[in-house]
Amino acid sequence: MSVRVDSVSKVYGFLWALRDVRLEIGAGEWVGLLGPNGAGKTTLLKLLAALAYPTAGGVELFGQELSYGNSPLRRSIGFLASGNHLYDSLTVSENLRFFVSLYRDDASADERAAALTEVGLHEKRDEYVSALSLGMRCRLGIAKWRLVRPRLLLVDEPYGSLDPSGVDVLNRFLETTCAAGGIVVLATHDVPRLLERCTRAVMLHRGRIVFDEPRQDPWDSFHHAFDALLSQDSGGPR
Amino acid sequence: MSGALGQIYWLLWKDLLLEARRRDNLLSMFFFGLSLLFLFSFAFEISSENVSRMAPGLLWLAFMFSGTLALNQLFQGDRENDCLDALLLAPLDRGAYYLAKVFFNFSLMFLLEVCILPLFGILFRLDFWHLLPNVLLYTLLGTLGFSVVGVLFAAVTLRARARALLLPVLLFPLMIPVILATVRTLQIILGAGMAAELTPWFRLLVGFDLIFITAGFLLLEWVLDG
Repeated sequence: MSVRVDSVSKVYGFLWALRDVRLEIGAGEWVGLLGPNGAGKTTLLKLLAALAYPTAGGVELFGQELSYGNSPLRRSIGFLASGNHLYDSLTVSENLRFFVSLYRDDASADERAAALTEVGLHEKRDEYVSALSLGMRCRLGIAKWRLVRPRLLLVDEPYGSLDPSGVDVLNRFLETTCAAGGIVVLATHDVPRLLERCTRAVMLHRGRIVFDEPRQDPWDSFHHAFDALLSQDSGGPR
Repeated sequence: MSGALGQIYWLLWKDLLLEARRRDNLLSMFFFGLSLLFLFSFAFEISSENVSRMAPGLLWLAFMFSGTLALNQLFQGDRENDCLDALLLAPLDRGAYYLAKVFFNFSLMFLLEVCILPLFGILFRLDFWHLLPNVLLYTLLGTLGFSVVGVLFAAVTLRARARALLLPVLLFPLMIPVILATVRTLQIILGAGMAAELTPWFRLLVGFDLIFITAGFLLLEWVLDG
């Protein structure tokens, strides 16, 4: 398996964000991560990105234990955080140039221009990021990861900020990533949009995986589990 | 440019560009440092006999307080929009990140000192232009010492709630050797002392800078990712 989450728990103070989560993801899979607010989706993404430590358990990526600090594995991990991870006072092209340079020093100006054209931002290349809408920021994030080409791409709640053409750009990019043997883990509340594309749905509730099934049409079992979840109390302390 | 050197270049490029666009750090440092020097020059009646003994200490207090303002803002740009997460996510050499921040802070402090030193000379009626190379050498060594320790502790207090208060509390006691050595050397230079008197202080400053730059380079990974 390319990604193995082994009995991972994460505690923030007295709050269990994740409890004994076990997950294995193979190459080419597009995993949809679903669940109500506070279910632990973003925490799981952060653990997979090595931006947070598990309280218990471990994460293995591509056959190697995921370590913290500067690890060669980081070259393989991408995290598309909707509208975030960009400097407001740098222009679109400066942000792209800076962040891509941390991963590879051979990205040419033509490649960067092509990536911006692909996501529809070429005409805005000299505008400050502070002047961009959330959707455009998300497109800039797509351009960045298109140039970096990570093997594991983590995506946090992208659909809320993107217009329909932006969603098409994102989906095309995610499908290309999976087709090249990469892995996509996408957390969202937009269930219908996700279920159109993902190859597998994983549902979290109160830090536990309560549903994990490969794609099937129709998604009766998923809808049944999701309706049951919605009927329960989705908030409150754990 | 590739590897850690390339990363230092791009991080420094980013920080300098952000500072050039915002100018908030440099301007607040300059006006704060200048206000302090004005206050000191009015508060203390310094005669021409003891000016070379007192003025260096007051100058370095102004540098240190202004520098602490800059250190409090050092990671602010990276904290906006969770950019720090994006940096930690990348295969970024944490030591390179530390060195880039040290160079950036050092550049800001150096610019401040270049602007403040002539005004210091005017306010305290000191004619040190013929001693400028020596004054600059020891000021730069002291500034480097301030930056190498300051950046490390700015990173340590990065996620603390009261970091603006915590940083000087942690930093100032550690700065005692640097302040002592720099003030003492400036006193010797301005008081036309013997060059041999400078040697032990020079060694102290160089040793301090080397020890803390090595410590910061090695420790930043634990501070940021720990």
